[in-house]
Amino acid sequence: MHNFQFRKSLVAVGLGVLLLPLALSGQARQVVSKQIAVGQSEATLHLEFDDEGRLEITFEDGSVLVDGEFVGRYEPGDALDNAWNALLGRAISLDDGALAAMLADWTVPAELAGDLADIAQDIDRALEEALTSFEVSVDTDGGSISVSIGDDSSLLRVLFNSTSRFGLLEQALTDLDGDFRVHVNEDVVIPAGSTVEGTVVVIQGNLRLAGEVRGDVIVVDGSLELLDDSRVEGEVRLADARIVRNLGTVRGGVVDVLEDERDLEAEIRDRLRIELRDEFRGDLLNELRDVSRIGRDEGRGISAIMSPFQSVFHGIGGLLQNLIAVFVLGLIGAASIAFAGDNVAAVAETARRSPGRSAMVGLAGSLLLIPVWILGVVALAVSVIGIPVAVAWLPLFPLAACAAAAMGYLAVAQNTGEWLADSDYPWTGWIRKSNPIHTVFGGLLGLMFAFMAANVISIAPFLGFLTGLLVFAGIVVTFIAMQVGFGAVLLTRAGRRRERWNTPYDTDAAWEAAMEVDVDSDPAEEAAASPEAQEKDHNDDA
Amino acid sequence: MTTRRALMLAVAACFAAPALLTGQDWRTVTMSRQLGDLDEVRVIVEYGAGHLTVRAVDEGLLYRMSLRYDEEHFEPVADFSGNRLHLGVETVGRGFNLGRRGETGELELELGRGVPMDLDLEFGAVRADIDLGGLALTNLDLRTGASESTIAVSEPNSARIETARFEIGAAEFTITQLGNLNAERIEVDAGVGKVTLGLDGRWERDARLSIDIGLGALVLEIPEGLGIRLRKDSFLTSLDSEGLVKRGDAYYSLDWADADRKVEIDLDAAFGSVKVVWIR
Repeated sequence: MHNFQFRKSLVAVGLGVLLLPLALSGQARQVVSKQIAVGQSEATLHLEFDDEGRLEITFEDGSVLVDGEFVGRYEPGDALDNAWNALLGRAISLDDGALAAMLADWTVPAELAGDLADIAQDIDRALEEALTSFEVSVDTDGGSISVSIGDDSSLLRVLFNSTSRFGLLEQALTDLDGDFRVHVNEDVVIPAGSTVEGTVVVIQGNLRLAGEVRGDVIVVDGSLELLDDSRVEGEVRLADARIVRNLGTVRGGVVDVLEDERDLEAEIRDRLRIELRDEFRGDLLNELRDVSRIGRDEGRGISAIMSPFQSVFHGIGGLLQNLIAVFVLGLIGAASIAFAGDNVAAVAETARRSPGRSAMVGLAGSLLLIPVWILGVVALAVSVIGIPVAVAWLPLFPLAACAAAAMGYLAVAQNTGEWLADSDYPWTGWIRKSNPIHTVFGGLLGLMFAFMAANVISIAPFLGFLTGLLVFAGIVVTFIAMQVGFGAVLLTRAGRRRERWNTPYDTDAAWEAAMEVDVDSDPAEEAAASPEAQEKDHNDDA
Repeated sequence: MTTRRALMLAVAACFAAPALLTGQDWRTVTMSRQLGDLDEVRVIVEYGAGHLTVRAVDEGLLYRMSLRYDEEHFEPVADFSGNRLHLGVETVGRGFNLGRRGETGELELELGRGVPMDLDLEFGAVRADIDLGGLALTNLDLRTGASESTIAVSEPNSARIETARFEIGAAEFTITQLGNLNAERIEVDAGVGKVTLGLDGRWERDARLSIDIGLGALVLEIPEGLGIRLRKDSFLTSLDSEGLVKRGDAYYSLDWADADRKVEIDLDAAFGSVKVVWIR
């Protein structure tokens, strides 16, 4: 009985939709947004309407899609493709009313025949239907069905062009009867305090329920949001849909009609994964055996015997070199912090707050170093007084540039160390953020980590590619750190001029603003300079 | 994409070019949106690399954008929600393509004339031709990485800006008719490059111009009749102050006292040169 009524209802919906062009008059829809995309293998028209409806027609890789649904095939450069591109060409320069009129007036070109003409007919129909809006209400003997269609062509496609969707609907609607409210390809909101009698069906849309539904709720290919105090007297049925929030009450329970299919899919997927993994493992083992055999065949003699140890010596040597570099640079950093701590801090702050800008300035500065050096020599050498200065300029300028680069690198290392101190990595616990020496050493280890890892990994056989990759990463990291640091040195004039920031991250500025005080001023001096204090001094003098 | 990201993009592009010369699939997108009922709109434009053009448009549109880009590496952005409009491209995938055979991406953007607008422009390695004339700007933030930018304000701004900000990384940057911007305060922060600031246009009120330049040349184009006071805090920077007289720690135009409109310039420069050019 139930099944009979469902079929009757569905037929009524179908008939209602089929009779749409006859029973209803269209109303022009306003195009609020237009997008035309043309690529080598794609030509797409995307429209948005004032009632939030959308239409997308795509020619892509030989397929014609209307709102994502396949409607036919074309060959690039064929008559249909040319006609579509010509239409888009005209649409580019038009907007709103003129655009809508032009698209609605488009008809199937006479030169098209056969399948291409059928596809063009579908496009023409989609355009005409999209550019007018409809409301549908169908009365049946067993109850009433109201159909609201966001994009009115989609119900036709859902019900008749897509057998999978039809099956989905049938599964979702089985055993239901009574009044139906069907929404296709549109989002639905049932506000708090409102009550819907009968069953609410949402197809290819999202339902946001804050009120009450005295019936069942069915969502196909969409989502359901049950807000506080929302209520569904019947069942909630989901077909290719999900509940994004469940704060309401569903008396009849929630049924996922595709659960069994999904379980089956998951089982097949797991089985495939295991088979692939076993196959891959077997192939890898065979490869390793082959490599090992080749090595044995070729390695006859002392050098072959020693070759594995050579890579060990090489790796450990490289690692020691890295550690020595970290140690030496760390000592230089410690000395810099001891003698010019404020400057290093200013450079580090700029590198931290404006890394992009610093990098650009550093890059430009690096490129300008040699021209500036040569120009300086030339400019100084033209005068008698300048010649002795030029002699000093020749070695001092490169030295100053190297010092600036080192200072910048150490400042970036300090930032890296602070970041590592804040991180939760287990091996960074020894870095105390409050101690700049710690942060510099920690940062240097961090910046050179890729080199060290490369040396360690180079000990193991068959990992040459990974070693190369790590060395490359180390070079990139070092280069970026150098550029950012050098730029920060230039921007802050070697740390002598702090950059100004008024962002929420400027804690001093934020604190000043909140407390209406100046953190740089001395409270004792301020007190002494106040009018009351001056008057007191005057009285004392008197 | 923030300026930081734009700058990093430009830096990365310079050093990863050999690895990035992959195939290009150029795609052209044209978008537009009707104006609708808007009191004020915040417009954010982000563009990484290519040729950027911005100007005003009539025809009841909020914007019209024509974009040509490599779809292997970029995808267009056109989000409009509430009163916020976000336009441009964002990087996808791992690579970044500098463009082969002289091909570059293009973004032509037209913004609604007379729509009150808080405009935020960010671009990286870009050649930009921007005309802000006809727009009703209530706020302006422009950030650029390594670019060659020409900004004009061909018509007076019908709205009023409190502070217009220009943050320039490494660029050849020219802006003309700054007076038409109708800004009380203009801040220019430049890293490296050549910056030309044209102070012509119609000044509705006195204004302050704050310039901070790291390494490079600054050219100040000043129309005759505009009162100028220039304060300079610089290091290894030459100043060609033709037409300005020094009084105390500042340089003044000859007609400073009688000028109808006055612009106070605070200049902070590190390495480079500053040149004053008078225009009729």
